[in-house]
Amino acid sequence: MRRAIAAAAALLLALTAACGGNGEDAPPEDGPDVLRVLAGSEIKDLEPLLAKAAGAAGVKVSLSYTGTLDGAEQVANGGADGHYDAVWFSSNRYLSLIDGANARLSTQTKIMVSPVVLGLSRAKARELGWDTGRATWSDIAEAARRHRFTFGMTNPASSNSGFSALVGVAAALSDAGEALDQAQITAVTPRLTGFFSAQTLTAGSSGWLADAFRRRTDVDGLINYESVLLGLRTASGEPLTLVYPGDGVVTADYPLTLLASSPKKELYGKLAAWLRTPGVQREIMTTTARRPIVPEVRPDSRFGTAPLLELPFPNRRSAADALIDAYLNQVRRPSRTVFVLDTSGSMEGDRIDALKQALAALTGTDASASGQFSRFRNRETVTMLPFNTGAGPASTFTVPDRDPAAVLNRIRAYGDGLTARGGTAIYDGLRDAYETARGGPGGSGGTGGEDFTSVVLMTDGENTDGSSYEDFAGFYRALGTRIPTFVVLFGDSDVSEMRQVATLTGGAVFDARQASLASAFKEIRGYQ
Amino acid sequence: MKRWIGVGLALVLGAVVVLALVLGNGEDGSGGEQRTLTTVRGVIGSEKKPFFDDPAVRAAFARHGLRVEVDTAGSREIATTVDLRPYDFAFPSSVPAAEKIRQAHKIARTYSPFYSPMAVATFQPIVDVLAKAGVVHDSGAGYQVLDLRRFLDLVAKGTRWDALPGNASYRARKRVLLTTTDVRTSNSAAMYLAATSYVANGDDVVTSRAQVAEVARTVAPLFLDQGYSESSTEAPFEDYLALGIGKTPMVVIYEAQYAARLFAGGGAIRPDMRLIYPAPTVLSKHTLVPLTDRAAEVGRLLQEDPEFARLAARYGFRTADPKVFADLVATTKAPVPASLVDVVEPPAYDRLEELISTVEQRYLAGAKPSS
Repeated sequence: MRRAIAAAAALLLALTAACGGNGEDAPPEDGPDVLRVLAGSEIKDLEPLLAKAAGAAGVKVSLSYTGTLDGAEQVANGGADGHYDAVWFSSNRYLSLIDGANARLSTQTKIMVSPVVLGLSRAKARELGWDTGRATWSDIAEAARRHRFTFGMTNPASSNSGFSALVGVAAALSDAGEALDQAQITAVTPRLTGFFSAQTLTAGSSGWLADAFRRRTDVDGLINYESVLLGLRTASGEPLTLVYPGDGVVTADYPLTLLASSPKKELYGKLAAWLRTPGVQREIMTTTARRPIVPEVRPDSRFGTAPLLELPFPNRRSAADALIDAYLNQVRRPSRTVFVLDTSGSMEGDRIDALKQALAALTGTDASASGQFSRFRNRETVTMLPFNTGAGPASTFTVPDRDPAAVLNRIRAYGDGLTARGGTAIYDGLRDAYETARGGPGGSGGTGGEDFTSVVLMTDGENTDGSSYEDFAGFYRALGTRIPTFVVLFGDSDVSEMRQVATLTGGAVFDARQASLASAFKEIRGYQ
Repeated sequence: MKRWIGVGLALVLGAVVVLALVLGNGEDGSGGEQRTLTTVRGVIGSEKKPFFDDPAVRAAFARHGLRVEVDTAGSREIATTVDLRPYDFAFPSSVPAAEKIRQAHKIARTYSPFYSPMAVATFQPIVDVLAKAGVVHDSGAGYQVLDLRRFLDLVAKGTRWDALPGNASYRARKRVLLTTTDVRTSNSAAMYLAATSYVANGDDVVTSRAQVAEVARTVAPLFLDQGYSESSTEAPFEDYLALGIGKTPMVVIYEAQYAARLFAGGGAIRPDMRLIYPAPTVLSKHTLVPLTDRAAEVGRLLQEDPEFARLAARYGFRTADPKVFADLVATTKAPVPASLVDVVEPPAYDRLEELISTVEQRYLAGAKPSS
């Protein structure tokens, strides 16, 4: 009996770890005064405040982070039950549209609000005549279509700010007064394509987007939460001018939501009540630039006085999914992606199988919505570049703008044919990847075409053959490129050197050592 | 075999209730009284939760030897999907839902201790614009009404705010619609459906299936065209209070939600906010269905004891004695009418359920590409 309990406990821990998304989060510890919360990364900035909840409200908040769509699916299919007591995303709207999700949710308490708006450099806002802060999405779309400015936005399938922005822009441009349906989405697609032709920066999370924006001088603005934009500075240190579209916005309302499966109803109630006390509401406003939800606390002068019109949000999942699908496969500018894959001897066995599976998932075998939205997109050019003792031959595939199945099948067959042997020449592989991405068939040519070009480096060990990191760093700097490398830690990766690669190229590191390689690949897709 | 499992489960649950009773008696409620309390558990509509959580209400129950524990659920869920076995009473927010439970459990007597008319919370500029359009007018009884007949005509034409003549103050391109909760789960939206179905049925309560099909065509867009709607009545009202006219120009609420904030003071209701009533309106009659004997005592106290009536009025509810509510209105000078004239009955449970199901089917129909 004892042993059975121990085994069950171990299983529980393993499952909890797997739920942590990229595996960087420790499994949430339980206790009578601990409220385990599955949250969107957007609320990370509340951590200092939440740390005070233990003393002030008697609630220890244990946060684990996940992506919006991933988190929504996890809650809807019951994967969060038993591991978490509450969920806290910037919005429950998409989650509520999934069949069966509402039965998993108990009390919802809105904590704060932030609309998704446009932030532009002051000079650009003045040039476009929007320095008074007023313009409509139609004005913005027209200027975007004529390439009068450029902007960054998160991927709508990975991050709620991108999804809210997409819904807002589509609702405003569709000229329909009611919630979007399939027919309206089809009709508005050409206008959306014009709008998003000015998008030159994407990301899987609001935090990374803001960091990338600070480094870039060629991106004029961002579409994101007001709270993010109010705190942001351009590369030259200037604050942004916020443009509040007069034809409406979509607002995040951050509902702290008790899971129906949790027995900690009272603990949840304490935290929710504390977060809505006037003092805490004021602190949220001051420290995170979000608007208070309780009417007793009025927004301060940073937020302006113009009333924000709220645009209707779709009430059917099919409409929400159709919109994301249209964005990824028709509307957005196509991306160019190079996968640098370790096929050295140490990959033999489970590891190469995990790689095959992770690649197959990106060709559409993952049937979940988040899986479908992370597949290789229509119009995307994908290069597979295996390496072992040296860099292998590159194979390039371009997914057509319709009927993608045949090409996706070819990519899957390519992945299935990978074999493991030989040494590990990481930087020879990486160097070839950059050469392929810059020139050659399907290459992006000069820097202007690099906006959506990226490299994924997946390796399970240290560099043993060919050029060194220093050689690569010299090569990279001489190249004058800004193509980022997204590094996947796997097996026995050299963590510090891999982090250097990510920092050098302006990429990011994803950890697949605890969680699966497939989930790391899926997360990276948000950045491509 | 199945039946035996059912009985076994009931026994286990019974044991749990007894255990809860014993444990509940151990820890005293509020008030510091030493006498043992009988715990009575109920499942209620969420809008009554603050009332039951109020220390004054808990103390009042304790004086009668009772400790009342509540869980919340939508009224429609209470009548259909919620497992009522762990509970001593169900307390949905409408007569149709209570009637359904009463029949299913063969309960002789129910209690309707308080009620609240359905109302619309809005803003002065909206009232002005809709008055110009002939949709809002004075009732002649000291309050303004939203004429549902004219409002339905406006909705049928797909009218947008910026298309209303003489509207300079609210130039939104979105459709003129009232914000409601999700009619599939929430009682306040179902009560709005009840009032609009009366008008769409030629000023008569819907009583037949044939009428349901016909009426649904007119009223379904009131819900579907809004887009996403929330599941709890407090959520859109909170948006109204905090985010104002931009997000929620007009929201369907229980009068009690607005009145409670007026009575409490504190400035949540700002000077440009207005409470108007749909004409006709319906009453949300909060009806307690006792499933055990000790719950009957809870129902009796709520309905007959003046102390509970006073406490309920503070939460904006109207009670059997109209004077309690009227006195509170007088002392707080709250702009709330003493009584309403144009009130109709909601359809019977089965008809209302059919109406909701028909709207629900339209949600599902939209799940397929509409081309």
